[in-house]
Amino acid sequence: MRTISKKLNNEEVEAFGKEVEALREEMMAKVGKEDAYHIRFIYKTYRYTEILGRGLIHFSFEPISFVAGSLLLATSKILNNMELGHNVLHGQYDWMNDPRFNSRTFEWDIVSDAHQWKFYHNYMHHTFTNVLNKDHDYGYNFTRLTEGQKWKPTHLTQPFTNLFLAMNFQWGVGAHGYRVEYMEIPKKQRKKKTLKDYKAVFFKKIELQLVKDYLFFPLLAGLNFPKIILGNLIANLIRNLWTYAVIFCGHFTENAESFSVDDIVGETKAQWYLRQLKGSSNLDGSNFFYTMTGHLSHQIEHHMFPGMPAKRYREVAPRLKEICAKYGQHYNTGSFVKQFASVWKRIIAYSFPDSIAGKLMGTKKKYLEPKVVLSQPSFQISLPGEEKSASLT
Amino acid sequence: MKTFPFIYNEPREFLKSLQPKEWADFLLGEINPRFSTTAIKAKVVAVREETADTKTIVLKPNWLWKGFRSGQHVPVTVEIAGRRVTRFYSLSSHPKDKHLSITVKRQKGGLVSNFINQNIKKGDLLELGEASGEFVLPKMIPSKLLFLAGGSGITPIHSILKQLQSSKYDGKATLLYFVRSYEDVILRSSLEEIAKTTGWLNIRYIFSDVPKEGYDSGFLTKEILKKYTDDLKSYSVYVCGPAPMQTKALSLLEGNEVKSELFLLPGQTSLKVKKSGTVDVFLSLSHKTIQVKGERSLLEELEDQGIYPQSGCRMGICHTCVCKKAVGSVTDLSNGEVSELGEENIQICVSRAESNLELEL
Repeated sequence: MRTISKKLNNEEVEAFGKEVEALREEMMAKVGKEDAYHIRFIYKTYRYTEILGRGLIHFSFEPISFVAGSLLLATSKILNNMELGHNVLHGQYDWMNDPRFNSRTFEWDIVSDAHQWKFYHNYMHHTFTNVLNKDHDYGYNFTRLTEGQKWKPTHLTQPFTNLFLAMNFQWGVGAHGYRVEYMEIPKKQRKKKTLKDYKAVFFKKIELQLVKDYLFFPLLAGLNFPKIILGNLIANLIRNLWTYAVIFCGHFTENAESFSVDDIVGETKAQWYLRQLKGSSNLDGSNFFYTMTGHLSHQIEHHMFPGMPAKRYREVAPRLKEICAKYGQHYNTGSFVKQFASVWKRIIAYSFPDSIAGKLMGTKKKYLEPKVVLSQPSFQISLPGEEKSASLT
Repeated sequence: MKTFPFIYNEPREFLKSLQPKEWADFLLGEINPRFSTTAIKAKVVAVREETADTKTIVLKPNWLWKGFRSGQHVPVTVEIAGRRVTRFYSLSSHPKDKHLSITVKRQKGGLVSNFINQNIKKGDLLELGEASGEFVLPKMIPSKLLFLAGGSGITPIHSILKQLQSSKYDGKATLLYFVRSYEDVILRSSLEEIAKTTGWLNIRYIFSDVPKEGYDSGFLTKEILKKYTDDLKSYSVYVCGPAPMQTKALSLLEGNEVKSELFLLPGQTSLKVKKSGTVDVFLSLSHKTIQVKGERSLLEELEDQGIYPQSGCRMGICHTCVCKKAVGSVTDLSNGEVSELGEENIQICVSRAESNLELEL
């Protein structure tokens, strides 16, 4: 895997980790009233958009209000899943001691069961970020995104399977989840029955979601039921496409690095921080955009501080960027369009065998030393031009 | 787990996951913050200053309030810096009063008592739980009653006296109220009013810090008890006040029928222990292992490390913080008992780690 960050020696890594940890402590000391206010505001917005959305879908007579209703319902689901659900389930608001925002009691509007999700996301994905064969989120079992994954002819289809996944993202997340739990049991102890139990949890959540969106609410509308089903389908589809886009931008952009199991043997906290930085990528945008991504726009900050109330990432980001610049570490950020395009570049490139993928990605170049000026905190990394990459193979 | 279709096998659970209660609470709360289907929310209708460091908060609860008996206490939840914190306070009003009230004295370093005294104003909202407690009068009211109050321990006794007043009590009651100084007497006018209008109540203030002419001073002793009671053994006694006073009272009153109520501040429950080294606590739901010293309650030690399980009263009453312990042994701080090693539910606010633990958190 190529890296465009400066290689640090052990002391430098530890110094970097120390500064990051100091930043975390400083921010966590500020957590309080504002954060409580924010999450309650999100909760309120999520409830109101759901009422309005479902109301409009039910009582619409023309397409415009129907579309508006579906969009509002999609917004509600996005808020519920991302800014509310994802962050609450990380335990970011446990300190409030409010059962509505507690990671032990929260359940969300998505087919993935909250408990199962906490295992494979909070634990597996956040501990082993981008470590091949350990982070099950890396490529979700069928997308090849680095030379570290062996190429198989089926990978040729991955641009299409990814389109399919994008449209059905919540199903992908849920189905992937219960399997991860099973796969993490040592091979000899795995039993078919356990897998069945995990599956039952998932199936129960599926049933609940289906009954709610496609039976309960349509029945309320009587003969108008097809319209309600359609509205819910649209809302779920929009939510799926949006979460897919945001989440894939988090770790699979062009310069997000992956690691092997050997890389993390005996890893210190500082090294862990560094790996989170290298493996994640951010999105630039407005405050509204940040909220709608559940602050996964600040994937780097989120991966370094998963327990910090998410809105704080906006405050953390510029400071963290400075620290990264000081140590010559690439801080991967860009506009949504740019980052998403680079995700797709990667998906397409690695659908081919390494010889072609390498050409497309320009990874045949070894380590590229960026111009580092340690004394200057406002340091910007200049990316080497892409046009040279082909000639270097 | 039963199989498909789950909705057929577990219809209740299905209905619950549609969140009807959450929806009702949200919508009702939008109409009026006091309305709810799940929580007793009470509006502050008046705040009265009793002494320099004590206030009475008069509350109007919503329809979920089931009432109380004189002498009982209630969990009060306030939000401090975005965080919900619960403490127990005795109700100082009479059950038949139009509104209920709690009387809160500032405790040194007390988070909630100071917050209530400083910040709670008319119009604010507090959350209450159900009233509970055995510090109440029996059905057959004894003809001779002795009340021993210390500091803010007067609040439940005040409520009991009001009850006696309204039930036209015709026995004899003595109140010995131990307090720092004359200025620190809580609910004085109301107490004296009861004494004046009824005639069966004899009030004696005893000042521990600032003596006053014409009054006794000092702490609870056998002499003082003797001085104000004829035939001590014939009294039914109610004691409420700080721990040292209670211990003293219980030793002096052996043989009497004594009811006592003791409120411990969080952290006071623990028998202070010093340990060398740490034990590992594995939190099975979050896949974290942390080290704790095992000197204080698990809840406190977890919170020190930035892990906030749900909690309530912090004295083992409300069971909000119950969680499953899969492996290991803990000491129950409320009675000092050491638990078995196996699986059981524990209240982490009154449990101290003895060995390596696995908790379902």
